[in-house]
Amino acid sequence: MVQSLFLPLFPSFLFPAIDLLYGGIYCFVCQDYIYDKDMEQIAKEEQRKAWKLQGRAFCFLTENLIQLLKQGIGEKYTTWEPTKRELELLRHNPKRRKITTNCTIGLRGLINLGNTCFMNCIVQALTHTPLLRDFFLSDRHKCEMQSNSCLVCEMSQLFQEFYSGHRSPHIPFRLLHLVWTHARHLAGYEQQDAHEFLIAALDVLHRHCKGDTINDNGKKANNPNHCNCIIDQIFTGGLQSDVTCQVCHGVSTTIDPFWDISLDLPGSSTPFWPLSPGGDGSTVNGESHLSGSTTLTDCLRRFTRPEHLGSSAKIKCGGCHSYQESTKQLTMKKLPIVACFHLKRFEHSAKLRRKITTYVSFPLELDMTPFMASSKESRMNGQYQQTVDVLNNDNKYSLFAVVNHQGTLESGHYTSFIRQHKDQWFKCDDAIITKASIKDVLDSEGYLLFYHKQFLEYEAKGLGTG
Amino acid sequence: MKMEDMPLSGPDNTRLEALVHDIYSELVEDACLGLCFEVHRAVKQGYFFLDETDQESMKEFEIVDQPGVDIFGQVYNQWKNKECECPNCKRLIAASRFAPHLEKCLGMGRNSSRIANRRLATNNNMSKSESDQEDNDDLNDNDWSYGAEKKAKKRKSDKNQNSPRRPKSLKHKNGELGSSVSSEPYKYNYNTGISYETLGPDEVRSLLTTQCGVISEHTKKMCTRSHRCPQHTDEQRRAVRLFLLGPSAPTLPDADAVVESDSFDIPDGQTLMSRLQWEDSPDISPSDSASSKASTNHSDSRRPKKKKRTSLGLNSGVVGGVVGGGGGVVGGGGGGGGGGGGG
Repeated sequence: MVQSLFLPLFPSFLFPAIDLLYGGIYCFVCQDYIYDKDMEQIAKEEQRKAWKLQGRAFCFLTENLIQLLKQGIGEKYTTWEPTKRELELLRHNPKRRKITTNCTIGLRGLINLGNTCFMNCIVQALTHTPLLRDFFLSDRHKCEMQSNSCLVCEMSQLFQEFYSGHRSPHIPFRLLHLVWTHARHLAGYEQQDAHEFLIAALDVLHRHCKGDTINDNGKKANNPNHCNCIIDQIFTGGLQSDVTCQVCHGVSTTIDPFWDISLDLPGSSTPFWPLSPGGDGSTVNGESHLSGSTTLTDCLRRFTRPEHLGSSAKIKCGGCHSYQESTKQLTMKKLPIVACFHLKRFEHSAKLRRKITTYVSFPLELDMTPFMASSKESRMNGQYQQTVDVLNNDNKYSLFAVVNHQGTLESGHYTSFIRQHKDQWFKCDDAIITKASIKDVLDSEGYLLFYHKQFLEYEAKGLGTG
Repeated sequence: MKMEDMPLSGPDNTRLEALVHDIYSELVEDACLGLCFEVHRAVKQGYFFLDETDQESMKEFEIVDQPGVDIFGQVYNQWKNKECECPNCKRLIAASRFAPHLEKCLGMGRNSSRIANRRLATNNNMSKSESDQEDNDDLNDNDWSYGAEKKAKKRKSDKNQNSPRRPKSLKHKNGELGSSVSSEPYKYNYNTGISYETLGPDEVRSLLTTQCGVISEHTKKMCTRSHRCPQHTDEQRRAVRLFLLGPSAPTLPDADAVVESDSFDIPDGQTLMSRLQWEDSPDISPSDSASSKASTNHSDSRRPKKKKRTSLGLNSGVVGGVVGGGGGVVGGGGGGGGGGGGG
């Protein structure tokens, strides 16, 4: 700071000073930092330009400051600031619902409309998906549908209901009506499968999101395969399938989008290898290996193992120009922000129809690195011992919702556990929401497991785009 | 030796440590300065107060963690009277019955087309007020249809013999009610009554809203005909209700309600029914516990679950009428293609 001693002698007191670190402007006359609207506008603009020049920035995901992903526009996150009018309104309305860690706001029961517990569980999981919550609470859906049968609008309304502070359970009758209207195969008064409902709901939401998709040129994306809607941004991953010819070792690769990973379980009629604990990746996730119980990591290892396709399933090899035996291997090419694992507990084979209740232990924190396509490549290049890089945060996931099924294949009841704040879990049983311990969650059977990426990044943007 | 002249590393690491400390202090100071600016700006621009909230609001939304109540401090199971307006027909429907209502309302139910056809056929022969009766009757057909012989037989011929749902569910319902109900649901026999001793109070209450209920002296069983059954008087019916349910027994529906001789009792019975519905779905349905056994053995552990289910069950399958799509669904559409059914 310039000493006031110099003021009468040195005319530079007329010029304000600027703090080089934060851009704060100090006025010597006022003897305080000032905030001038025009100056701030300029500063903001310059900052924005500077930000776009940066290739990549890592932003930590904290409970209250979730970074919004804006594809196509590399923009720095700025907190909301109220306008003068808004400030006035807020001053006149001092009663506020502040969301603290011991707060019920954001939690609400759901009335069972008649065998609709499967729907209620999926709604609880979706309304507690942080990115989805932020998208809807910041009013980002711009509806383009003519009629009022937009499921995305209804979803938005659902968030309003959950954050309204109301204690009585919400009646999701409009949601049911809309889902039945847009997903005919689910319409009907009967018990249904929660996983099926999840996929159908995501599909309808994705279709109705067309108005919100913006591609690189700022134009609306009309191509459903290149959609950039919030559903795709959050839930869509890429599954790589490599088929290797046993003769010429040529590899044919395809990448398919997925919203969930369905995992076979031991005890089903599909062959399941009892993988010994301690293999690569299995100790990374800290799952309990009590009495040799199967872990989620075991299931994932099995899912991504090379599978020899027998002589009855020969593939036409492009290199050999003939049908050859081959091996097939699945790996994750691109992980979604929210990864949903579906444990295939319901067996519908020709001879057997039953529910597999084998306990599968799943972790609170999951590292997907060993199952990535890139990891597979390094393994193939000779790096067999995959040391886990603790500083690489790209593939770390946290559990935030678990959907459980009690009963038999034909009939039962769904409940869910959801995470509201960092380590607070709640059990949702239709209209009844109660506090649950982490132990309750991890000891539960598990049917659908929802994991959220821990660290989000801005997409890398080259110069001259956006 | 001056600081600058000291070696950077070596046995005496003072200089290195001092440098590290300097850098660290500067980083911490910069971070603190950032926070100061944030607060200063908020105060200057007048939005600092936004972070505050009144004590009252804080208390209001505190999470409750006690047995018997949910996180809002509410007792479980108090939401039976919730209603909602059907987006299709604009009627007020009990929330827990919304799904079955919507199914029929949208014409998606298994029997919707049959009902519609029947309505079309009978509308030609009836006056408006009577057809309204038919209306109510039809809409609630599957949920609490009370079959007379004629109807039961008609349904049997209509329905798909291969559908796994109906027969099984019926078996379960029958199982629950006790072995005294005929296990051949479609051969409805007026002489077969219901043994009231094997029923819980809720089951009895539901039964009595739709049936005569007078206990036969010979068979000791409850009459399963309608409230206007000619074999018994209103006096008898009142007496049996008093006997079975005590002084708080619900009264019989009005005598002026227009009812077809073989059709089901109306609005009063209907609203009573919805009040008896349980909001939550049971965790285990009859298809598990019953397994077609005669369930005269009512162990306590099964009691709660059975209580939950029976109101639905009784509505639909008491005396051989066709069962609606209640929880105990088997096969086919029950669990979706590759999944497990849950309600």
